[in-house]
Amino acid sequence: MATTALTPAASAYRSGLYEWLTTTDHKKIGILYVVNSFIFFTLAGLLAMGVRSELAFPGLQFVHDEGVYNQLFTMHGTVMIFLFIIPILTGFGNYVVPLQIGAPDMAFPRINALSFWLLPLAGILMFSGFVTGGAAAAGWTSYSPLAQDRPLGMQGSGEDLWIVGLTLIGTASILGAVNFLVTIFKMRAPGMTLFRMPILVWTVLVTSVLNLMATPVLTSALIMLFIDRNYGGHFFDPATGGNAILWQNVFWFYSHPAVYIMVLPAMGMISEILPVFSRKPLFGYKAFVFATAGIGALGFSVWAHHMFTTGAVYLPFFSLMTFLIAVPTGVKMFNWIFTLWRGKLTLSTPLLFALGFLSMFLIGGIDGAFSAAVPIDFALQDTYWIVAHLHYVLFGGSVFGVFAGVYYWFPKMTGRMLSEGLGKLQFVLMFVGFNLTFFPMHVLGLSGMPRRIADYASTAGWNELNLAASIGGFIIAASFLPFLVNVAVSLRGGRIAGDDPWEGNTLEWATTSPPPPYNFDHLPEIRSERPLFDLRHGRTHAAAVLPDPSPAPQPSH
Amino acid sequence: MTSSTRTRPSNGAIVALLLLVLVVILLAVAVARGANLVKVAGDVVGSMFPPPAATAEAAEIRSLYDVVFVIAAAIFLLVEGLIIWSVVRYRRKPGDDVLPPQIHGNNVAEIAWTVIPTIIVAFLFYISWQTLNSVDAVSKTPDIYIRAVAGQFQWSFVYLADDGQTQEFTQFLPSGEAGGMVVPVGRKVQLSLESPDVIHAFYVPRFLFKRDVVPGQVNRFDFTLDPSEAGQTFRGQCAELCGIGHRTMTFDVHALTQADYDAWLKKQIEAAKATPSPGASAAPPAATLNLTAQNIKFSTATLDAPADKPFAIAFDNQDAGVTHDVAIQDSTGALIFNGTDVKGPGKATDNVQPLKAGTYTFICTFHPVQMTGQLTVK
Amino acid sequence: MTSNAHAMTTVEHNPVAGLAHDARGGISNPILGMILFITSEVMFFSGLFAAYFNVRANAPHWPPLQPEGLAEHFNLHAEPWYALGLTIVLITSSVTCQLGVAAIRRNDRTGYIRAISVTLVLGILFLLGQAYDYSTIGFGLGDGVFGTTFYTLTGFHGAHVFGGVIMLSVILYRGMAGQFSARHHDAVEATSIYWHFVDVVWIALFSTLYVL
Repeated sequence: MATTALTPAASAYRSGLYEWLTTTDHKKIGILYVVNSFIFFTLAGLLAMGVRSELAFPGLQFVHDEGVYNQLFTMHGTVMIFLFIIPILTGFGNYVVPLQIGAPDMAFPRINALSFWLLPLAGILMFSGFVTGGAAAAGWTSYSPLAQDRPLGMQGSGEDLWIVGLTLIGTASILGAVNFLVTIFKMRAPGMTLFRMPILVWTVLVTSVLNLMATPVLTSALIMLFIDRNYGGHFFDPATGGNAILWQNVFWFYSHPAVYIMVLPAMGMISEILPVFSRKPLFGYKAFVFATAGIGALGFSVWAHHMFTTGAVYLPFFSLMTFLIAVPTGVKMFNWIFTLWRGKLTLSTPLLFALGFLSMFLIGGIDGAFSAAVPIDFALQDTYWIVAHLHYVLFGGSVFGVFAGVYYWFPKMTGRMLSEGLGKLQFVLMFVGFNLTFFPMHVLGLSGMPRRIADYASTAGWNELNLAASIGGFIIAASFLPFLVNVAVSLRGGRIAGDDPWEGNTLEWATTSPPPPYNFDHLPEIRSERPLFDLRHGRTHAAAVLPDPSPAPQPSH
Repeated sequence: MTSSTRTRPSNGAIVALLLLVLVVILLAVAVARGANLVKVAGDVVGSMFPPPAATAEAAEIRSLYDVVFVIAAAIFLLVEGLIIWSVVRYRRKPGDDVLPPQIHGNNVAEIAWTVIPTIIVAFLFYISWQTLNSVDAVSKTPDIYIRAVAGQFQWSFVYLADDGQTQEFTQFLPSGEAGGMVVPVGRKVQLSLESPDVIHAFYVPRFLFKRDVVPGQVNRFDFTLDPSEAGQTFRGQCAELCGIGHRTMTFDVHALTQADYDAWLKKQIEAAKATPSPGASAAPPAATLNLTAQNIKFSTATLDAPADKPFAIAFDNQDAGVTHDVAIQDSTGALIFNGTDVKGPGKATDNVQPLKAGTYTFICTFHPVQMTGQLTVK
Repeated sequence: MTSNAHAMTTVEHNPVAGLAHDARGGISNPILGMILFITSEVMFFSGLFAAYFNVRANAPHWPPLQPEGLAEHFNLHAEPWYALGLTIVLITSSVTCQLGVAAIRRNDRTGYIRAISVTLVLGILFLLGQAYDYSTIGFGLGDGVFGTTFYTLTGFHGAHVFGGVIMLSVILYRGMAGQFSARHHDAVEATSIYWHFVDVVWIALFSTLYVL
C-alpha cells in the first residue's frame, strides 16, 4: 500500500444533507451520480425480474395483461440505458477526470450539478406512468406508429411522461458533454499534453463528442413524437404524408452512437485497471486513442443496421460500415490482451471484473458480426439473439466494466478498501448468473423466439432454455447481495486505503483518499501518460511548490 | 526468480479444481443415468445453428451463416485462449517487486492486427453482399402472388391472380388445419406485405427470414419452398412489437405439392363465391342476437341461436378507432360466416345463413384471442 | 500594490482554475462552452431539417395538394416578401450585435448599450412579426405534414430567438450596470455568437421553406 506522500493529510469533514443537495464539487456530484444510478439499476433490475418470472414457464402466470408486460420491458430497457449506464459512466467521469488531469474541478460546476439533478426528476416522471394509467409500453425504441397508438398500443400518458423524461435526460447529457469537453481541453495540468492524458480521459472526450452531436437528434425525434401524439402532428403518419420509417432513422441516428456512449467510458476504465494490475503500460496507447476516435466517427455511419428488415434502407453501405467498425474494436481487444501478456498479474477484484469485460464483450462483439451480414440479420433481427447480443455488450461489457471501476475507485472515493472476499464472491455469482441467463438466448433466437412477447407456445421447444435463463436472472439478483453487504461493511470498517492502495499510474492516486475539496496541493511532473508511475520509479520529481503563475497577457482587443 | 514460500496451492487453484471435480461428477451421473453424451454434445453444437432451411433462399442464408460461424468460432477460440493463457501464465508471485518488461507497443503486431481483421471483414462483407443480392431479389414474374395483411393482431392472406392485383380469395384464419398460408413447394411465391395500422414483421424461422410490414409502404420478397418440404407446416410469428396482442400474432405456413395446392386453391375460390355474403338471405331472421364490442372484448361469451333458421347479429362496436367484426367458426375451425368489418364507433346488422344444431365459436377476426365466445345453435 | 501581488490575488491569473481569461492564452472557457453548445443546437435543428427533407422527398407533390382547400396557402414561394422582411430584420440585428461587441472590445460602453438595445428591439420585432405571420398564414400545425413541419421548424427557431432575446436583455442590463469592460465581457461574446447562430438558422429556414 504505497503512498506518495505528496499531500498533507486533508482533514476529512463530515458533510451533511444540505451539503450533498447543494454541492457543486465534482467529486460529490460524481458520487451522487453513482448512487442515483444504482438506485435506478435496482428498479430496472426488478422490472427484469418481472419479465424473467413471467417467461420462466409457458403460459401467463403473473402478468395477465400483455399491456403490463410491455411496460415492464419498455421501462427496463429505458431505465437501464438512460438512468443507469449512461449516468453511472458520467458519474465516474465526473469524479475521476478532473483528478486525472490535475484540475481542481470541472469547468462549469453549477451546470454540473444541474445535469445531475435533472436525472432523479426525469426518473420520477417516467416511473409515475406506472401509477397514472400505464407507463410507456412501446419498447425503449418506441417505434411509430405504435407509439401513438391507443388503446391497442398503450394506455395512459406514460409515453408522454417517457418523452418528457428523456428530453430532460438528453439535456443533462448535452450539458455534461459541454462541461467535459471544456474541462478536458482547457484545464489540464501543465505538462499534460493530449497524448499524455489517461485513456479514461480520452474515452470520456470521445463519448462527450458523441453526446454533444447525437443526443440533440434524439431530442428532435422526441419532440416530433410529442407533437404527433398531442398536437395533431403528422410526422410519422403515412396516411397524411408522414413516414413511419422517419422515426426509426432519426431515433437510431442517436441510439447507435448511444451504444458507444454506453461502452467507451467503461473501456476507458478497464484501460486504467489492466495496466495497473499487470504492472505494465497499456499496449499501443496511441493506436488505442485512434481506435477510440475511429469508433466514435464510424459510429455515426452505421445506424440503419438496426433497420435492415424495414425494406427502406440502402443495405450494402450500412453493412460495410458495420463490418468496418469491428476493426478498431479488435485493435483495442488486442491492446488489452497484450497489456496482460508477459505482465505480472494480481487477480484482485477490479482485474477480475476487467477480465470478465474482455471475455464477455468479445462474445457480444462476435454476435454483432453475424448481424452485420444482412441476410443473417434477416433471420436474427428482433429475436432473442439480439437480446443476447445487447446484453453481452452492455452487461457483460459495460456493467462488468462499471464494477471493475467501483472496486478500483471506491478506495479513492471513501478512503476504505472493499472486501476482496465478498468482491470475488460477487464476481463469480454474477459471471455464472449472467452467462446462464444470456447464453441460452442465442439458441432461443436462432430457433425462432421473437423479442417482446409475454408468453410463448409450450410446443415451440423453448421451455427449458427460458427456465434456465430465468434461474440465471435470479442468480444475478443474488450476486448483488454480497455487493451491498460489502459496501455497507466497508464504508464503516473497511481497511484504510491510503493515497495509493493499488500502485496506480495516474494523478488521482497522488492525493489523499478521499481528496481534499480542491483536489491537489502538489502535482508531480507530468512527462508521460503514467505520471505517478514515473514519480515512483524515479523518472520524474514531485513539484515542490505551486507552479509560478505567468502574468496574464494584456488583451489586444 | 524468487523462491516461493507457499506450501499449498492458491485459493483460486483450489476453487478451480473443485469446480472441475464437480463437473466430472455431474457428467458421470448423467452417463450413469443413460445420457448419450455424444448426442448431447451434438445437440449443443447443433443448437448454435439455425433450424433446417425450408426454402431455397434460406439454404443460401444457412451457407453464409456456416462460413461466418467458422470464422467467428476461430476468432473466439484464439482471443479467448489468449486471455485465459495470460491469466494462467503471467501471475505475480508474492513478494516479487521486479517490474515486467515495460513494453509500450509493437508496430509490426499492431499493423498486423489492423490489416488482417480488415481483410477478414472485407471478405465477410463481400460474401454476405453476394448472398443478399440473391436472397433479396424480387422477381417480375413470380408464379404466385400473395398479399399478407398484418393488422392488430391477426394475419390474413389474400391470394391474388396472375396479374398480381385481382383478389381471388382471402384466407382469414392465420393458422390451424383450416387456416394458414397455404403454398406449393417448388414454385416462386411473391409475398407483398401491407399493414393498416402499426409496424409488424413477417417472420418464419424455417425461412431464416423476416421482413417488416410497414404502414404506408409495400414490402415484397420472394421465396421458393424446397420440394422435400411438401406436407410440412411451418410456424410463423409477428416479430415487431405491435401492441397488447403481439404475442398472439402467430400464423402457419402449410406446404403442399403443386397438384395439391392447385386443387386446394380451386376449392377455396369456389367456396368463397358460395359463402353467402351478409344480408343475402331472403327469409326474415328468426332471431336477432345483440353483441357489443368494448375495450377489445365482446359483451358476452355465450350466444344462442335457433337451428336451421336464418338469424341476425346486431353488432355495436364502441371502440373508437378500432375495427372489429363478428365471424363464426364451426367445430373444425373453418370460418363459415364473416360479418361486416365495423370501424368504431359504429353498428352493423348482418344476416347469418341457417346453421345446423351444434356448438360453434364466434370471434372477431381482428382480435381472435381476446374476443371469442361460444355460439350454441339448437 | 505591485503588479505581482495583483497577479497573485486576482482569480483570473490562477492557472489551475480555468476561468475567464486563460493565463495560457486562447479562448475562454465560457466562450468555448457556448460554441460547443451551439454545435449541439445545430444537430438539433439538423434532426428537424432531416425530417422535413425526408417527408418532402417522399411526397408526390410539394407543396402537398392535401388537405383540400389549403393548397394555395401552402405555396410559400408565391409570397416570400413578408418572410424576406423578417430575414432582413434578423440579419440587421446580427450586424448591430456585432457592432456592440466591437464597441465593448474598445471599452465604448455607450456605443455598446446603444448597439445591443437596437439588437434587442430588432429581435423582439422579429418575434412579433413571426407571430403575426402565424395568424395570417392560413394553415395550422395539424394541417397535413406541411403544416406540421412548417410550424415545428419555425416554432423552434422562434423559441431560440426568444432565448436569445432573454440573453440580450440580460447583457443589456449588465452593460448598463457597468459590469462589462474591454477586458471582461465574456457574456457579450457568448451571447453574440449565439445570436449569429440563430440568424444563420433562420437563413437556412428561409431558404428551405420559401426558396427551395
